Amino acid sequence: MTCSILNVWSQEVPQNGVKESEPTYIALKNATIYVTPEKKIPRGTILIKGNKIEGVGLMVIIPAEAVVIDCSDKIIMPAFIDLYSNVGLPEVKAAERNSRTPQLNSSKKGAYYWNEAIHPEVNASELYVSDPKAMKDLLSKGFGYALVHQQSGIARGSAAFVSLGTEDENLSHLTNTSFFSLSKGVSRQSYPSSQMGSIALLRQAFYDAEYYADNKDEINLSLEALLAQRSHHLYFNTRDKYEILRANKIANEFGLNFKYIGSGNEYEIAHLLKDQKLEIVLPLTYPKAYDVKDPYIARQIPLSDLKHWEMAPQNAAILSRNGACIALTSMGTKNDDEFWDNVRKTISNGLSEENALKALTMGPAKMIGVEKEVGSLEKGKLASFMIYDKNPFEEKSQLLESWIQGKRTILKTTPIHDVRGKYTFNVDRHKLGLEILGTPEKLKAKVSYTYRSPEGVTKDSTISAHIALDDNDINLQFIIDAEDLKGNVSLKGKVNTKLGIFEGEGLLPGGEWIKWTAVKNGKVKSSKDKKPSDQIADTLNRTWFPNMAYGFEKLPDSGAIVIRNATLWTNEEEGILKDASLTINNGKIVYVGTGSPPVPAGAKVIDAKGKHVTSGIIDEHSHIAISRGVNEGGQAISAEVSIGDVVNPDDINIYRQLSGGVTAAQLLHGSANPIGGQSALIKLKWGHSPDDMLIDNAPKFIKFALGENVKQSNWGDNNTVRFPQTRMGVEQVYYDGFLRAKAYQELWKTYRKDTTRPKPYRDLELDVLSEILRRERFISCHSYIQSEINMLMHVADSMGFRVNTFTHILEGYKVADKMAEHGVGGSTFSDWWAYKYEVKDAIPYNAKIMHDQGVVVAINSDDAEMGRRLNQEAAKAIKYGGMSQEDAWKMVTLNPAKLLHLDDRMGSLKEGKDADVVIWTHNPLSINAKVQYTIVDGEILFDEETDREKRRINQAEKARIITKMLDDSENGEETKPFFKLKRGSYHCNTIGEEMSTEENEH
Amino acid sequence: MKNVLLILFCLGSLGLSFAQDYNRILILDGELHVGNGIRYASAAIGIENGKIIFVKNSLAMTIEESEWDTIVRMEGKHIYPGFVAPNSTLGITEIDAVRATRDFDEVGSFNPHIRTQIAFNVESKVISTVRTNGVLLTQTTPRGGWISGSSSVMKMDGWNWEDATVKGDDGIHLNWPQTTTGGGWWAEPAPKKGNDKYKEQKQSIYDFFEMAKAYSETNNPENFDLRLESMKKCFNGSKRVYVHADELQQLLDVIEFAQHFDLAFPVIIGGYDANLIMRQLVDAEIPVMVQRPHSLPETEGDDVDHLYKLPALLQGGGVKFCIQNAGDMEAMGARNIPFLAGTAFAYGLTMEEAISAVSLWSCEIMGVDKQYGSIERGKSATLFVSEGNALDMMSNDVVFALVDGKFMSLDNSQKELYEKYSEKYENEKE
Repeated sequence: MTCSILNVWSQEVPQNGVKESEPTYIALKNATIYVTPEKKIPRGTILIKGNKIEGVGLMVIIPAEAVVIDCSDKIIMPAFIDLYSNVGLPEVKAAERNSRTPQLNSSKKGAYYWNEAIHPEVNASELYVSDPKAMKDLLSKGFGYALVHQQSGIARGSAAFVSLGTEDENLSHLTNTSFFSLSKGVSRQSYPSSQMGSIALLRQAFYDAEYYADNKDEINLSLEALLAQRSHHLYFNTRDKYEILRANKIANEFGLNFKYIGSGNEYEIAHLLKDQKLEIVLPLTYPKAYDVKDPYIARQIPLSDLKHWEMAPQNAAILSRNGACIALTSMGTKNDDEFWDNVRKTISNGLSEENALKALTMGPAKMIGVEKEVGSLEKGKLASFMIYDKNPFEEKSQLLESWIQGKRTILKTTPIHDVRGKYTFNVDRHKLGLEILGTPEKLKAKVSYTYRSPEGVTKDSTISAHIALDDNDINLQFIIDAEDLKGNVSLKGKVNTKLGIFEGEGLLPGGEWIKWTAVKNGKVKSSKDKKPSDQIADTLNRTWFPNMAYGFEKLPDSGAIVIRNATLWTNEEEGILKDASLTINNGKIVYVGTGSPPVPAGAKVIDAKGKHVTSGIIDEHSHIAISRGVNEGGQAISAEVSIGDVVNPDDINIYRQLSGGVTAAQLLHGSANPIGGQSALIKLKWGHSPDDMLIDNAPKFIKFALGENVKQSNWGDNNTVRFPQTRMGVEQVYYDGFLRAKAYQELWKTYRKDTTRPKPYRDLELDVLSEILRRERFISCHSYIQSEINMLMHVADSMGFRVNTFTHILEGYKVADKMAEHGVGGSTFSDWWAYKYEVKDAIPYNAKIMHDQGVVVAINSDDAEMGRRLNQEAAKAIKYGGMSQEDAWKMVTLNPAKLLHLDDRMGSLKEGKDADVVIWTHNPLSINAKVQYTIVDGEILFDEETDREKRRINQAEKARIITKMLDDSENGEETKPFFKLKRGSYHCNTIGEEMSTEENEH
Repeated sequence: MKNVLLILFCLGSLGLSFAQDYNRILILDGELHVGNGIRYASAAIGIENGKIIFVKNSLAMTIEESEWDTIVRMEGKHIYPGFVAPNSTLGITEIDAVRATRDFDEVGSFNPHIRTQIAFNVESKVISTVRTNGVLLTQTTPRGGWISGSSSVMKMDGWNWEDATVKGDDGIHLNWPQTTTGGGWWAEPAPKKGNDKYKEQKQSIYDFFEMAKAYSETNNPENFDLRLESMKKCFNGSKRVYVHADELQQLLDVIEFAQHFDLAFPVIIGGYDANLIMRQLVDAEIPVMVQRPHSLPETEGDDVDHLYKLPALLQGGGVKFCIQNAGDMEAMGARNIPFLAGTAFAYGLTMEEAISAVSLWSCEIMGVDKQYGSIERGKSATLFVSEGNALDMMSNDVVFALVDGKFMSLDNSQKELYEKYSEKYENEKE
């Protein structure tokens, strides 16, 4: 996949006029040359011929005809390469649209993919127009090359590799690199509206490309491009660390290899990325310190933000230590000052200078296969380098010249001297003081002198003067009012910085030319001299798991635990055992009984006298711990999407629910469409990875929904175009979907019988519907009123499958007999009602009636707050209808386990089952009950005592980082005002990627 | 003596309204939670013409049965003052998603003249499910704007709003500006940030109050102003000023505001951060109607149980407070107010304090404690009896409830449906 830049760049272009001669050889002498990141030559020479390096080293024979340039005291570094840029590409704009109704179809006309977020056909080299301003901006940061692409969409298209040293677009070069992301960009098409939708869409597009390869009866330019890109360097742009894991799964599915554009918080999961041979481009933008002077504001800043502020500059160092190949991008840095400040900050935070240089040169060059031409200054490569006055990795320095493919651009003839300081100088026998202030780029000056009046009275005066420094020339002009020198004084001179002297000539008020000299005798102190980034930073890795309040400093182990003297709510035939014991080993319950329990070596023994011990609560209906969207509401059927793709372990509600005894949950897709997405069955493993949270070999589930949400009743007047808008339409969506799935199954069945036939297309949505038809995937259906509940059971009966669970099922009491007959369970709210028209007949006796009719009943939350108190919600079944305590308790433990087909591993205290165990201070159904321990798979993930300790540590950690922020801002670091995110959470009806704070969305 | 238990049965199963023809009622032998911290293991409560005429230890009194129209023996049961749902839209909303039933948010920024009292729907199906859990009074409260309007304290029983009124226009509701703002809307949110307009918004509230105060001091204003007219009583102490505020900066500014205008009865509603400034609140004598204890903490690092224990923290700091439940599904959720008190009990209040926090203290803060909030001589007989601890879901089971000495129907549409469908399944079995 190596490509040659030279082949393209050597083309002859017709000239206007005669060809100008160029020196054949140029030699740059006496410079400190960074040939490669590993090899530095002090006082070396680079010999250039044409656009290439002819030789480099300490001893290079310089041909007689060579032009020789002395580079004493200067630093030469290879030109940097930015892999994440949009220089020269037009701004991406959304298509114009006047209507506020949802846009269901693509607005891009032509033979393209049906979804406009998939546009791999976009080719940056066709769009690239040189943009001198943007190029100069990147050049001033030390970059000579950029890989540019249009930064919008899911399949974004291919990139162009451009040289920043020429405005000739023909010199841009296609490098076989294409970009992807999980963000639909400017597309206004309603699908996808969530991250899981983006994942499904991209997967479907790859499958479509595969099919297209063998079935090109119709032209599709998008699929054509996508097919070609399978052999490209594929870059995946991410907005969060977990997106890397998500994209990786797609890569594995299609045998692809993604490289990543990181978001800056990858250090938090460095342990998960360790074995991945990760190649990643990292941003050099770091969070700014908050303005923390106001303690009221400071206390509202989430600890996660503070911790990220502290750790973000270590990102590159930590990933590098963990074996990742890294490149750095300047994307997002405002100017060269910020860019270099952050490069130095990255170095002071643990990335070696060598690795930093590598990450800007050879690293990116190798990542796109151009390392034979650029990235270092070895013989034979393109002569593309930068000349600095000082080593920019060590201190603030200036870029003097850029050489791109042998073409020299002088940016600063000589560096700006820092002439600031105090001087004394003589003008025509007068001894004056001069103080030069301001910034090196914009100087200010004050002249002071002593005025002596004719009467002999003396007075000190200070006046401001005009000063300008241009290379070595200094101009100084002021109006003086001394005893025998009154009027305008204009001085011009040269600077000798080594000696700290100005000398020259000047014009006095009387028109007289004089000689003048100024001698430096003091330096001006600047607050900017001491930047925290220049100091040795604290490079302790202080990442918590997760990196936020209540995170673990070290992940807990699943040790052996013995609980003695407890009241055990077994949920088994034994019922409630008093003075009983329970032993946990290797994540499983190994003993339950009233005898003497086995005590494994090293076991933690808990005396639970007076305490109640139960299996963990299982929430059948939860929307916590989900990234970017709980609903893929863009279409009526979205069976192809899966919550399992977007599990987010960093949700504080995981910890909060552990404090309420919850150990497992079904994370359901929302209720925006009749057939929603696939569920994730998780354990609440705080501190663990998304994959650790997913229950191994969990049964497959999918969300269906009925009623007002599905028909968009409460979405306003614009949302009246998506089918269905009535309950009648909902039924037909199901028939249509399942009939299509049957036809699809037939296609595959025929093909499998005779694989010499053409392979049918792959449809992720119909795959999942087929699983339902084959009874391999269970349905949990959001439902309210009896008509629609019965309707779905009829659909299921006629299609040959069974509805597994009706969730919400607030009119289940009206049809409990039919439900029992169908064999469907009910997972309901304890007492919610009156929030929508369809819940006006909801009654809190619902659970009791369904239970009495033989339906397996669970009580669920659908609410992050209530999820913490499901024990109380279960107790309401005792109040409303008089259920027994044990039956009530099963509704939040064993029954949801049954509904989720997990009752062989969870839901009761039984030997061999998962050690998901909760110790309560009182009867768990009573109002007094508090959780003392929550144990998941044998790991103590919540306990009362540690919780108290963590609260203290949270505060201490906050105080420590805030002190650090204050220190930094006093040292001149910029700060930003506090931004507070809305407190919100997903509900069934939340549309879009962000969390909701709206009411009544269930 | 008439057999009250039979009457109760009728009430429960048929839901009939009927004229009550007995004025002297004696409740005997239940465990009485007076509401003021006192508990009688076995009490006798005498009621005449809707008023409580005595509260005694039943073990130490002799009873002349003929003196009473009815005697209700409640041995082993618990007697509580009617619980209160302050700061609620109960009665002025029915089904949240149906706009036509949402009657709590009027157009305008300064709406002190808007009165919830006249929109109170005594026949609300939601109300009938709330009172059956022992919540018998509510403060019907408007929403929206800077000043949403005037709330009224209402009984959950009556033929019309006039009947149901305990105290009309008890106070105005001021929504204090947020110190943080932004956020876009929920599908396309932007991060919240410090509210740049905070000072300006605060000033507009000060301006309105300055104007109202000046108006209140003129007897015969040239320009009659409905809005300012309705503010008059805020300055003479007969109308409370309820300020909805949670965050620390807001709370401190509210204290300053109350002092600036020398408000006689300022009340803070919300008070998420109130535990941080308890001294100031005590000194300024500002009570707090605390945010619904069953709410999530504001930021990730806040104590998981912050709102569970906030009542106990305030009690420890000597701050006058009561519990309210505004928020998502507040109208139908008002029936869970006993359990909010239960949680506050589990997290530090004593049982009697937890009861006061949803009865007497609520009434004191709203200024209706002379008649309501506790079971004491001279007060209205507004109380209920529960089979067990009413603050626990397992045992809250209301046997009967009195409002102003009248037996209240404990029927509701949900019980009707329960019975209707239970019967269906019973019949199918046979």
